[in-house]
Amino acid sequence: MTDKPLKSHVRPPQDTMPGGAGQGCPAPDAQTRSIWRRIMDDFADHCRARSLFVLHYCTGCGAIELPPTITSRFDMERVGITPMVTPRQADILLITGYLSLKTLKRVILSYEQMQGPKYVLGFGSCTINGGMYWNSYATMKRLDQYIPTDLFIAGCMPRPEAVQQVLLKLIEDIDAGRANAWQDYYRNYDFYLGNQQRLFGAGWNTPTDVIGEARHYGYYGPGTEGEHTRLLAEGGGSAARLAHAEYPSTALTGRIKS
Amino acid sequence: MTTPQVPDPATLAPSEEYDLYFGPNHPGIEGNYSVRVRLKGDVICQAVADGGYLHRGFEKIMEDRLWVQNIALVPRICVPDPVPMEESYARAVEMIGGLEVPLRAQWIRVLMLELSRICAHLFTFGGNAATIGLYTNMFWGVTMRDLFLDIFEEITGARIYHIYITPGGVRRDLPEGVLERIEALLVELEERMPQFEDLFFNNAVVIDRATGTGRMSAEEALAWGVTGPNLRATGVASDVRRDDPYLVYPQVDFDIVTETGGDALARMMVRKGEVVQAVKIVRQAIAALRKVGGPVRCELPNPLAWDLPAGDAYARTESSKGELGFYIVSNGGPRPYRVHVRGASSMHAVQVLEKLLVGSRIEDVAQIMFSLDACPPEVDR
Repeated sequence: MTDKPLKSHVRPPQDTMPGGAGQGCPAPDAQTRSIWRRIMDDFADHCRARSLFVLHYCTGCGAIELPPTITSRFDMERVGITPMVTPRQADILLITGYLSLKTLKRVILSYEQMQGPKYVLGFGSCTINGGMYWNSYATMKRLDQYIPTDLFIAGCMPRPEAVQQVLLKLIEDIDAGRANAWQDYYRNYDFYLGNQQRLFGAGWNTPTDVIGEARHYGYYGPGTEGEHTRLLAEGGGSAARLAHAEYPSTALTGRIKS
Repeated sequence: MTTPQVPDPATLAPSEEYDLYFGPNHPGIEGNYSVRVRLKGDVICQAVADGGYLHRGFEKIMEDRLWVQNIALVPRICVPDPVPMEESYARAVEMIGGLEVPLRAQWIRVLMLELSRICAHLFTFGGNAATIGLYTNMFWGVTMRDLFLDIFEEITGARIYHIYITPGGVRRDLPEGVLERIEALLVELEERMPQFEDLFFNNAVVIDRATGTGRMSAEEALAWGVTGPNLRATGVASDVRRDDPYLVYPQVDFDIVTETGGDALARMMVRKGEVVQAVKIVRQAIAALRKVGGPVRCELPNPLAWDLPAGDAYARTESSKGELGFYIVSNGGPRPYRVHVRGASSMHAVQVLEKLLVGSRIEDVAQIMFSLDACPPEVDR
């Protein structure tokens, strides 16, 4: 297997990043930015709010109300929202309902692949407090413990009108520059990673270099690194390589383990 | 394995074959499900179904809840077709508890079951067309289904999860005038059927792509545990409504639709025929409901302190996916001792899909899965 390091903390210090020491492509501080920059940012937010792609990943029951929302009757495309099949080009991650642990791993991987600014909508009661499955051994209970969530839609099942309303609210928030939950993932990565590790074990690791991205975009904060990311630095990479050695992807015999 | 790893290609042995994850976030896949396929060119040599993304542990969490609390839980097992779940569960509880369902409630249940069947088939029809690139059909099917959901909303208060059928009958009587509105909607559906036919069933693209795709013989289907429309598409006239009648189905006049092709086209043809039959059954139910009066629910004890006698029961229903069964064991307590759900899709989406995919091409994977009408939440439960 490759010996390439997986995470930024095992990389050389940040002065090798483009733009000098810790100066990848930092977002300016919202208070101190120049008037010219503020006008440009407002204009970008205004445009961004009118063309949104929803990642085509339906995680649970809520998927049943999305076809009516997208198709002729409620027609989400009227407000510039349409499905997109790849995470890298999507803006919105719609978590439609409960997440089993296996799905939550895929959701986190997809979320980290998406490019900022990105927005997460929790759809249905299951993402808020576990909903019907509050005592299930297989599902997670609160979505905002694992990835930062912009808005929630209450109900089981929320109606297409509710989905539309929350999308309009999101558009309004983006336009006003309020939908910034995605920055929280960089600023408090340690918190989110800690919760993820509690579910998936200390060896949990993802290919995306979140800490490096945080530095790159200028969202590195006191909560970005901590005891959980240290754990990642100590054992994450080697644990991942060990796991790969056990289940080589070339062997397609038997059931898939995850 | 906690980390998805991309292997270094240089370390692998040279091969013409490669692996591909089909799903879970693929738009062609029906819900949150995935199939891992090994390809040579674009032909599939091996397929391994990879479920479990929707596992909620139904059979376990039902043991923790009261008999009435479970009514709200069961429709979640299969999202596009929830009524058969409620009906099966309620009937299994009635069999254990010795409850007698009033005649009017039985006819209402038949009405709901068949409306749900129409909804589920319209949804599959739209989805199946979308997998071969015919997105207009998807828009039409989903929109037509939405009009039926309005009827459900009027009767039960909810579009998707009705929680309407309870042990002992149904939750409340039909609202006034709903029968006339259902009749008007059935006329509208019948008016649109020729359009659906032109757009889909007589479409050269569909006939080209679906003929011979995912073919199975009647012997194979029986050996693999296939039920429902998928089995009838191989020529076996098997239907739980006929073989093991429940509710008032013995009094209902309907035909079992069969086809002999056993391929994706035959399966969709069976569904088309079933929509016609369901319309016929709904009309009979409407006629009966105009005559049959009386209560819609038998007397139940206090539901919060309801101990069912010890015993076990297996109730099966013909859902739009196939035979659905609930096996419930009671030890005389306020909660089920053990519940087992037999979801038709768990056979269709795992063992059958794995076998049908071998030898087919990568662009047909979604079509084969949709033509089997496999419902991932029912597979994983």
